[in-house]
Amino acid sequence: MNKNRRNFLLGTSLVTASASMIGYKETLKTAITMGSRGVPTKDEIYANAQETEGVIRDTFKKNTKFSISSSVCNGCVTNCGVRVKIDQKTQKVVKVTGNPYSPLSSDPWLPYNTPLEKSFSLLGKDSSQSSKYRSTVCARGNVVFDKADDPFRVLKPLKRVGKRGENRWKEIDIEVLLDEITKGGNLFEEGEIEGLSSIRDLETPLNSKDPSLGPKANQLCVLGTGDDGRKAFMVNRFVKSFGTHNYQGHTSICGLSMRAGEAAYLGDFKKYPHLKPDFENCEYLLNIGTSPAQAGNPFKRQAKLLSIGRTQKRLKCVTVTPMLTNSDNIAVGDMSEWIPVLPGGDLAFVMGMIQVIIAKKLYNKEYLSIPSKEAQKTMNDGSFSNSTHLVIQSGKSINKILEKNKTALVIDVKDGKLKPSSQVTQAKLFVDQEVEVDGVIHVVKSAMTLLKESAFEFDLDTYAKSSGISKAKIISTAEEFTSYGRKAAVDCHGGTMHTTGFYTTYAVMVLGLLVGNMNFKGGMSAGGGRYKDWKGSQYNLLEYKGKVKTKGCRIDKTKMAYEKTLEFKTKVANRQNPYPARDTWYPFTNALESEIITNSTKEYPYKLKAMISWNANFLYGQSGTKHIKKLLKEPKDSIPLFIAIDPFINETSKYADYIVPDSIIYETWGVSGAWAGYQTKINTAKFPVKTPKQAKFKNGEPICMDSFIIELGKKLSLLGFGKNSLKGNDGKKYALNRPQDFYIRAFENIAMDSKAVLDIDDSEIALANLEPYIETLKKICGKNWRKTAYVMARGGRFEEKEHGYKNDKLAHSYGKIINLFNPVVAQNRHSMTAERFSGVPRFYKARLNSGELIEELYSKKEYPLLAFSYKSNVLSSPSVSGKKLSHVRFTTYVDINPKTAQESDLKHGDIVKLTSAGGEVLGMLRLRNGIYPNTIGIEHGLGRDGEGAVDVTINDEVKKGIIRRKSGININKLGFLDSSRELATLSDFVVGSNARQALPVKIQKLS
Amino acid sequence: MQEKNTRREFLKKGAITSAFAILSSVQAEAFSLANPGIDAKNIKFTGDSTKKYVMVIDLRKCVGCQACTSSCIVENSVPQGQSRTSVTEMEIGEFPDVRKGFLPQLCNHCDEPSCVPVCPTGATFKREDGLVVIDNKICIGCGYCENTCPYDKRFINKETKVMDKCTFCAHRLQDGLLPACVETCVGGARIFGDLNNKSSEVYKLISNFPVDVLQNEQGTKPQVYYIGLDNRLEKIANATISLDNLVQEALQLEEKQWTTVQLGAR
Repeated sequence: MNKNRRNFLLGTSLVTASASMIGYKETLKTAITMGSRGVPTKDEIYANAQETEGVIRDTFKKNTKFSISSSVCNGCVTNCGVRVKIDQKTQKVVKVTGNPYSPLSSDPWLPYNTPLEKSFSLLGKDSSQSSKYRSTVCARGNVVFDKADDPFRVLKPLKRVGKRGENRWKEIDIEVLLDEITKGGNLFEEGEIEGLSSIRDLETPLNSKDPSLGPKANQLCVLGTGDDGRKAFMVNRFVKSFGTHNYQGHTSICGLSMRAGEAAYLGDFKKYPHLKPDFENCEYLLNIGTSPAQAGNPFKRQAKLLSIGRTQKRLKCVTVTPMLTNSDNIAVGDMSEWIPVLPGGDLAFVMGMIQVIIAKKLYNKEYLSIPSKEAQKTMNDGSFSNSTHLVIQSGKSINKILEKNKTALVIDVKDGKLKPSSQVTQAKLFVDQEVEVDGVIHVVKSAMTLLKESAFEFDLDTYAKSSGISKAKIISTAEEFTSYGRKAAVDCHGGTMHTTGFYTTYAVMVLGLLVGNMNFKGGMSAGGGRYKDWKGSQYNLLEYKGKVKTKGCRIDKTKMAYEKTLEFKTKVANRQNPYPARDTWYPFTNALESEIITNSTKEYPYKLKAMISWNANFLYGQSGTKHIKKLLKEPKDSIPLFIAIDPFINETSKYADYIVPDSIIYETWGVSGAWAGYQTKINTAKFPVKTPKQAKFKNGEPICMDSFIIELGKKLSLLGFGKNSLKGNDGKKYALNRPQDFYIRAFENIAMDSKAVLDIDDSEIALANLEPYIETLKKICGKNWRKTAYVMARGGRFEEKEHGYKNDKLAHSYGKIINLFNPVVAQNRHSMTAERFSGVPRFYKARLNSGELIEELYSKKEYPLLAFSYKSNVLSSPSVSGKKLSHVRFTTYVDINPKTAQESDLKHGDIVKLTSAGGEVLGMLRLRNGIYPNTIGIEHGLGRDGEGAVDVTINDEVKKGIIRRKSGININKLGFLDSSRELATLSDFVVGSNARQALPVKIQKLS
Repeated sequence: MQEKNTRREFLKKGAITSAFAILSSVQAEAFSLANPGIDAKNIKFTGDSTKKYVMVIDLRKCVGCQACTSSCIVENSVPQGQSRTSVTEMEIGEFPDVRKGFLPQLCNHCDEPSCVPVCPTGATFKREDGLVVIDNKICIGCGYCENTCPYDKRFINKETKVMDKCTFCAHRLQDGLLPACVETCVGGARIFGDLNNKSSEVYKLISNFPVDVLQNEQGTKPQVYYIGLDNRLEKIANATISLDNLVQEALQLEEKQWTTVQLGAR
């Protein structure tokens, strides 16, 4: 191998496109033939450049051929505020730029009351502020808008022809669709199917033998995806007025291990709060299984703040991943570091760091000793934790925190006495003793002692071996991390989606606890929140008469302990050992999309009668889907009625019985916030800024999720829709007949929250092209219409940047107790093995639910490599139908280290087959030095089987699939079943998050 | 494997003579170096003589996100598979001592452009504000400039069949707007402005930081300046080829066909 070649260019089709042979051949051809001129350019100098959006000569004068509207990009799930340039004649989006008022696209962002005109002229060529307020769009957002014009888009309602999954359809009228799905009948000549009207039964138990499972209405399951700003509408207006207990988002196939681990740390399994570093001020950023400059939420914001921090030499960014990511950059020298880790080795690495921090006493003792809110105030700290709280070690109350009158008891360091935590400023950190409360003796250990015991359960050599990171590196990283005090922050995400991901995240968060970084400038933040939108000063859009308090058991067996089930009680009554349960239960998980089809097929806990999926795509996103496709193909076995609301026929909606078109990027309504990584309130508003292309309802509304559930709700006589179903705070009631009735009122709530926004003037209305909405705004908002329009013109409402901090702390802080020890986790058992879950982070090897080890089941001899996926900086699952994006990233490869390739006699560019216990994929091998030896890396986003990747027949016409969309690799096809369970894909053994990382595979050269 | 140098050789040995022959017989009148646009003092051709436009790329701030690549494609309607600007992404070193490098590249709008003197028709020229542009109406697509550009930043546009390259978004500058790639640069690496203006950000950056240009030894005096340029980046960018090229070659496919190769799961 040529020495130069050891350094690899990570080519995309564009990176070297100008140097490619194709371009050159073109030159030759033209040069030789001379005469064959191409299509003349529009302009002799500017060639085919777009007409500009306007001219800045002191002030900005908009080009009237275009509208420029504020909206939200849906190229991924970050929901960045953007500006959309639309050709008024063709109604096509021609360009997208950042919205300079939005913190998700700019930092600093414009003061909210900056005149709209200034928001353009300040960004001009001759403005001294243009770099400061630069507002950006990522590689995806810049081009993904063309998916709206993709020929594979579903514009009319479809009903399947032939068997499920054959991908043959006919277009039907929306009224016929509504009729069929509500009434049911012999819809496909395959026998009777129950319709939604009779499924919507809130009285009859779905199983007369076990009423605790809830009413029949629970046999409808509604699946969503990442919240695009419309989830509140779907859940509160439809799901809760239908009365089913079953709504699931996509979290279990996205980053549930991260979310659940953070929820455990924050002691809130209800809201599942999200934590992120304060990127703007942190000085040491430890990223585990995530990469802030490569992808993630909010990618642009964190990438920009990272680039500023490193350039100023304020921030050192360390990334612990199996692959070198774009978070490293040779130009910043030692402000950036990559620590290569084995896939799934992160938990061992972090537990090793915790051990070192405890052994060397590198933790913030004063902070950890704060036992209560009262003490936090006295100490003027950012938060407090239960590190000093005492956990009962035996007896009936085992694993409960020792309390009296609901206040934890701790040992005061001053006098060694047991006192209510509220009366103690500094409590003893390490406790292992007996204490007496009201004459009863308890053996107790402090949470910190439990952590110490857990961290020391294995030695550093074990942690080093399991993580693939040397002992010396574990020690030095622990020392370096703690040396930054409270300005050291941690983050983790999709890399933790393996079988021990929950404890990995919990451990990562605890690293932050040990330095006391919560709510500190430069530490960890739970986000800046949002202005009151759904439930606000003018309306409560979530409440209405007839909203059902849903009940029973969820189809995914979440939010319920096995010990509460009839199965458990019956076994106990029969004096049987109640363990194992028939299958795993998830007492503190919020939702598991990945368990629905399998559970319904198993009829455990029960069988579903119908499913409505809304832009959901678990068949692409779930590891081990091969096994689920089979089930979904058989309506009788899995789910008899499947309605998909989807702008495309994706891998999942391909198996639907009916498809209802949805509106798409820049055609939809919604209000979104930011997930995390921001310190000020953000509400990003979107409304249709171009004419939707879908078929319409009789009332003229384009068919989309919102209009569909309104019409469906009315047809089912649900009280969440129609006359008088919206509640004003003044007691007045309003009708919900169109999406705007709901969303414009949400905009009004935002406008009127706390100190109301200003009134918009006519020149801004013109500049923001809001004329088409004025009549509607006047009708809905009355005297508040100009304020509501002010919000729409700016694409939402964004708090001023300087409101993010108060002195050395975050202004919007997380107020609850931090859980070093989570009593909910500790008091639950695994329903199969009966093992108690550790209440503090603990090292577990990769395992099945039964506890059998992956490394023993799938030996290194047979499967010598570990495969992992990584988030792409260009691709995302909702972006494949964008044509232009293929310029930038054509396909995806099988990434491998050159040393590993050489050992297997493989070369750059070989076609290889990867095989796991669950499936196989083909791909082209790409050698790169920046990957851990004996692993396989796969960029996520291609290897599609839907959204135009495969042939589809509509009304007997075949649309040929575009094979570029099929090209590349989907790691989820390598996923496998947990052989210790009855039909379930491999998952985290505690919270059930889908395991797509660290899959044992073998590689073979083809041809 | 096809390398840049090989291509150059190919060009020199192969096609040039035939191109010449046709040139001289068919479009002899195009050899006039006069340009009607310049002669008419059309601002589009001359540029604003009071300005001196340059770009500074602070590599420390680049995250290789390719937002610039995307926005340029949209702004300038660049055909599929071609680009006026993009970010070369590379790995330097061997495991475990590997670093990521990014090199955003575009036309350098050189002060001594090698592309201008070789243009037989006067289609490519340097404006008074520093921009090197191409008059598409006069360009005959002979490819001399593409061959002579040391940075490989020119290409025949597949649709228009004439030479194409970055214009610093001259159409946007004329309207007081920034180039599209600068506007959308996520990390804030691309900074654009007037070097004649001492209060401009580009002037300050060039005055306060050591800056480099690509292939300084070529003597072309590029006007795209880099902060934090590691010479290894240049070496690799010029020494290796991307896998996408390899793929196409290995599969013996033309670009059109390549989109129909079935890889992925069975």
